[in-house]
Amino acid sequence: MGELGKIHQILIHLGDYTATLNLETMIMTWIVLSCLIVFGFMTARKRALKPGPLQVVGELLVANLYTLTEDAMGKELARKYSPMISALFLFLLLSNWIGLIPVCEEPTKDLNTTLSMGTMVFVVSHYAGIRAKGLKAYLRGYFDPIFFMAPLNIIGELAKVVSISFRLFGNIMGGSIIVLVITHLCYSLILPPLLNAFFGLFAGTIQAFVFTMLSIVYISVMVN
Amino acid sequence: MIDIQTWVNASSFASAGIAIGFGAIGAAVGEGYAASQAAVAIGRQPDQSGDILKLMLVGQAVAESASIFALVVAMLLLFTQQPPHLINVSVCLAAGICMGFGAMGSGIGSGFPAAAACVGTARQPAAGGRLMTNMLVGSAVCQTPAIFSLVIAFILLFTDFSDRPLSPTWAAILGAGISTGLAAIGPGIGGGLVAKASCEGVARHPANAAPVTNLMLLGQAVTQTTAIYGLLISFILIFRVFPETETLSRPMALLASGICMGLGAFGPGVGEGFAGMAAVDWLSRNIRAAGELTRTMLVGQAVAESTGIYSLVIALIMIFVF
Repeated sequence: MGELGKIHQILIHLGDYTATLNLETMIMTWIVLSCLIVFGFMTARKRALKPGPLQVVGELLVANLYTLTEDAMGKELARKYSPMISALFLFLLLSNWIGLIPVCEEPTKDLNTTLSMGTMVFVVSHYAGIRAKGLKAYLRGYFDPIFFMAPLNIIGELAKVVSISFRLFGNIMGGSIIVLVITHLCYSLILPPLLNAFFGLFAGTIQAFVFTMLSIVYISVMVN
Repeated sequence: MIDIQTWVNASSFASAGIAIGFGAIGAAVGEGYAASQAAVAIGRQPDQSGDILKLMLVGQAVAESASIFALVVAMLLLFTQQPPHLINVSVCLAAGICMGFGAMGSGIGSGFPAAAACVGTARQPAAGGRLMTNMLVGSAVCQTPAIFSLVIAFILLFTDFSDRPLSPTWAAILGAGISTGLAAIGPGIGGGLVAKASCEGVARHPANAAPVTNLMLLGQAVTQTTAIYGLLISFILIFRVFPETETLSRPMALLASGICMGLGAFGPGVGEGFAGMAAVDWLSRNIRAAGELTRTMLVGQAVAESTGIYSLVIALIMIFVF
């Protein structure tokens, strides 16, 4: 039970400032990223009109994610943002699944990972909004029904980052805590693999998908 | 004179009772509702009784998981010895309240999709497989608020608070438990309403299953936003170290911030659930209106959520200003 909430950290002192690096999260993120790069390379290596099995998997993923983006944003924006959306989904999916392998820890179990993803979506969606509507119309949106609603509108926008990142973090963290505690209580008999399958594969997939859907919606809401 | 260890033990027994006592309410209501609708479905379509019974049992098993979380927390409270420190009285109580109330909404909520899936199978036996998938996804997402409560209960039980000043930390801890616990009730029920509409929709029009499931996930995710505000307030209250005070006003402000966010999340959760329910329901009837329905649902939910944001603002002011 001692493992609960223990984080391996490196502290780097730069003058007065101390940078904290979460070692496990960083290594796992790099593993996930290298897996994705290898996967992308393998699927696109031998492109042919009659696709091989790997190319089919890659095309299926990209085509489905593109359709999902196009339904919400329209054709023009989808061409621009669907690569980012696909990469986001695949990264989160693999991050949530990697906990199934013993010794490995989900990078999404760390709030820093999910919060940085959420911040990225926030920045991208506001950038898309400013690009589509122009700065003036974008700023006018904050004073929407009446001018004194502006502080609440700004807090509402910031709360989006909190909600999108805490949702993923809470679910993955909760799943791993439950698996850890049940494993401790019943000495790894029968139940933990089932729980791992439920929280890792099933809930992990759903939460990666929910995060992606919300990112698409945030961008399309800012644009329209 | 009773010593501190006795107080801590008494508190952990009481909290175990609160955790599983309140935690048992929601799942039982949800499962009973699922069973009642299964009976309705079998009465209408007796030939399908095998499939409907299977669907009912699977749905009830998922609905029960919230209560099982409460059971795990109650067992931990009973069987782990808390060290003799006065702060642990508050820690045990907060963990018990958090998990007990937190399991309530998800239990009731995840009974709804199970019930709708049973009735749906009777109506459209061919949709069985898709209904099962849709129900499992919907009720798994319904569990999210209960999982948040579990996270907070575990963090409370396994963090060492003994080096923090007793006042106002006791109130911060209790507020953290109440915040996530109460905030989980409304979103749990609301998420269940959305999932119910989606199960009905898949049964009505199995060809539209994919867009209906997608909109359900979106509706449920937005419905859970206020539960996440509760989680945020709990995290701030747990991980921020408050300086020692002699007065009672500071502890009361921290406790009140937890109560404020917890109660404030209830209404938006249920209300956004209604918005999502109607949007998903009508998407299955009229797939061509998908864009307008999604937009209306999101805007309506954002407006319904504004009261939750008012609670969040007041809770943050009470933590950081007073």
